[in-house]
Amino acid sequence: MKHFTKLAVAAALGTVIGTAAVAQELYTPNLAYRTGPFAATGIPLMNGQADYMTMLNQRDGGIGGATIDFEECETGYSTEKGVECYEKTKGEAIVTQPWSTGITLQVLPKTNVDEIPILAPGYGFSPMADGTVFQWAFNMPAGYWDGADMIIQHLEAEGSLEGKKIAFLHLDHPFGKEPLPVMEMHAENKGFELLPIPVGLNEMQNQSAQWLQIRRERPDYVVMWGWGAMNAGAITEAVKTKFPMENFVGVWWAGHDADLKLVGEDGKGYKSISWSFPNLDAPLMKEIKEHVIDAGLSQTNEEEMQGVFYGRGLVMSAILAEGIKNAQENFGTADIDATQLRWGLENINLTQERIVELGMEGMVPPFSTSCANHTGHSGGWMLEWDGAKFVKASDLIMPNVDAYADLIQNAAEEYATSNAPWDRNEECSVSN
Amino acid sequence: MLYRTAGQFKTSYIADQALFPVRQDAFLLGIILIFGWVIFPMTASEFTVQTLLIPILIYALAAMGLNILTGFAGQLSLGTGAFMGVGAYACYKIITIFPELNPVIAILLSGFFSAGIGVAFGIPSLRIKGFYLAIATLAAQFFLAWLFEKWSWLYNYNASGAIQVPNSEAFGIFVMGPQAASITEYYIVLFVVTLLTVLCINLTRGNLGRTWKATRDMDIAAELIGINLLKSKLTAFAVSSYIVGVAGALYVFMWKGAAEPNVFYIQLSFQVLFIAIIGGLGSIMGNYLGAILIVGLPVVLNVVAGTQVFEMSTGSAILLIVLIAVATFLFGVARNLWGMGAAIGFGAVTLIYGYAQLHGFRIESAMIEHINVMIIGALIIFFLIIEPHGLNQLWRLIREKLIIWPFPH
Repeated sequence: MKHFTKLAVAAALGTVIGTAAVAQELYTPNLAYRTGPFAATGIPLMNGQADYMTMLNQRDGGIGGATIDFEECETGYSTEKGVECYEKTKGEAIVTQPWSTGITLQVLPKTNVDEIPILAPGYGFSPMADGTVFQWAFNMPAGYWDGADMIIQHLEAEGSLEGKKIAFLHLDHPFGKEPLPVMEMHAENKGFELLPIPVGLNEMQNQSAQWLQIRRERPDYVVMWGWGAMNAGAITEAVKTKFPMENFVGVWWAGHDADLKLVGEDGKGYKSISWSFPNLDAPLMKEIKEHVIDAGLSQTNEEEMQGVFYGRGLVMSAILAEGIKNAQENFGTADIDATQLRWGLENINLTQERIVELGMEGMVPPFSTSCANHTGHSGGWMLEWDGAKFVKASDLIMPNVDAYADLIQNAAEEYATSNAPWDRNEECSVSN
Repeated sequence: MLYRTAGQFKTSYIADQALFPVRQDAFLLGIILIFGWVIFPMTASEFTVQTLLIPILIYALAAMGLNILTGFAGQLSLGTGAFMGVGAYACYKIITIFPELNPVIAILLSGFFSAGIGVAFGIPSLRIKGFYLAIATLAAQFFLAWLFEKWSWLYNYNASGAIQVPNSEAFGIFVMGPQAASITEYYIVLFVVTLLTVLCINLTRGNLGRTWKATRDMDIAAELIGINLLKSKLTAFAVSSYIVGVAGALYVFMWKGAAEPNVFYIQLSFQVLFIAIIGGLGSIMGNYLGAILIVGLPVVLNVVAGTQVFEMSTGSAILLIVLIAVATFLFGVARNLWGMGAAIGFGAVTLIYGYAQLHGFRIESAMIEHINVMIIGALIIFFLIIEPHGLNQLWRLIREKLIIWPFPH
């Protein structure tokens, strides 16, 4: 009984203090994964995302006067925990950031009913580009189909692909299968042979069978759609089988510094397409150092901060912050809700001037979104491993979206029909 | 006193063999049913329904299916995850081929497909036993999980290789898919689980259950007294796989909403097996207790870690205190000092945690996850040490002691 009285008194006290302390706060939870099999790649991204928001809170007192509550809900990349986190946070949240493709697939239909924007920068379902159908989902600045197209463009720049053979090493999972439609389309149009080689979730670390097949088939290029332990496995295996590294290209999630540090010099020439680049000289990095790292508010470290993934985390949060700012300016209130944030995310116009203003020069290509275009199709750079770090190896490559606009539309249509009744954005008159 | 059996005379064999020989058992079950059917749906938030009630019921059902096979018939199986997958994919095909079919009927039908597959993989059990049979079911696990990935007809040639639950209507409301209300899904799950539980209780107490138990205890002796082992083992595989398949269909269609093939990997089989073992092999109620421990407790711990202990609502505070008090009392009745210590310790740790929170103590959500895993692991070891036969046996001992409480011999 004594405990209970104590508890009750404390509870009453707590409520009083709690109500007094309420300031304008925007709740943007992140469904993080710092544990589990993908933690090694997750941690730098999560740190980058969190640090950018902490920097805004410290330097500017949040965005437009409202502080950002960038709480993390740990999923360990498991879909069950993902649902738990989504249900837990959706009441207050103005945005949901689901992270894994599996969680995105589960959450995507629910956000359409719950009316919460889902921000999946550079991942998720490529047809989300069609904003008229997926009115609550965003995967800017670039989708997987953009990535596949940019990689093929880059390879074509090295010489015609006619009669060549491209092995497509991918995780046997919705994420890995995602770019297949665009790869197949290009294979048909450009006359190269596409050889899909799936890597099961159980065999990520031991890919000897897959690389034996690659040795036997002698492809001209290997394109990799890998994640987590699969990348390190593939890169070490490629070095072991002496596959020419300059003919090995990965998606942006296969460009993690730690994976390549394992092989160091031997990995020289490995490439990864990316819509972000860690420009260590950018003013933003100094701000982060001053307001977050030196203040002891970050979990990151010196080495991680220089990596591609940390920089990408910063870019992701910057995109979200830009959406929030747009919404605040348009609706004239700091305390925006989920629907207003959707407007903000649909009207992002990240021009080169704005990127410089944010202190992020060279860290992200300029792009803009509309109610019909939820991806932005920013394009990206081909990054190359020089033996110690990733460097830009190409100018900005722009995806040729027209070539697969029909694919996007058909896939989006198909999704909407199989999930009928599906609410669309009928008011949007802009075309993709 | 609370569980007094004095005056409850049994004057016939039928009364002695009844489902509830002691009146309080029926009363207790009635309370649980009222909670399940009336009080929870009226009071629970959507979060509770989606992360506690529905998954606990579904996992309990899957464990019950496995328990029929392993606990009652003595045939060890490691293929539960794959059999759940068969149910889920069968349900997906049924629903996409016959969209006008009632979803509840589709779910109940999908169990027959997994029953068929289960029987096929159960045939080796006629020749091999124990660990060797476990390996045979392991083959089923790997083969079926591989099939879910490679046979694109199963997921309607979907580019992503995942199955998505469509919105389906029945009785004029959405009962399935993202448009369906959580509460509707909960009632459907509860209906199916209640139905199958009643079926299981009666099956295991009846003729078939007795032949299973005889087969489990000594199959040669069972054969000598005239039990047809072929029939006994294969019916066990069929009934078990049917229930597991229905659980799999519920798992995807009433809860997850979408599933990739890797959901049905061996981790799921192990999780269900753990629930069955911790709950108690050869019991029905144990499956629910096991599911509460393995599926429900991590969620509760996460919520507790995330709330300000001293700021929680009065209702939750009372609930927490009552739960701790009841646990302490029950362990006290059973003279189980370890149990009492654990229950009081949990309360004390919560208070200390709340006190630390008042002084600005915060844990990162990743650290909470690590601690959570450690606590659950420790609790599994703890319960297996204090009662190796599972939570069901623990409850039975407590009940025995409760009958004579407060005057133990």
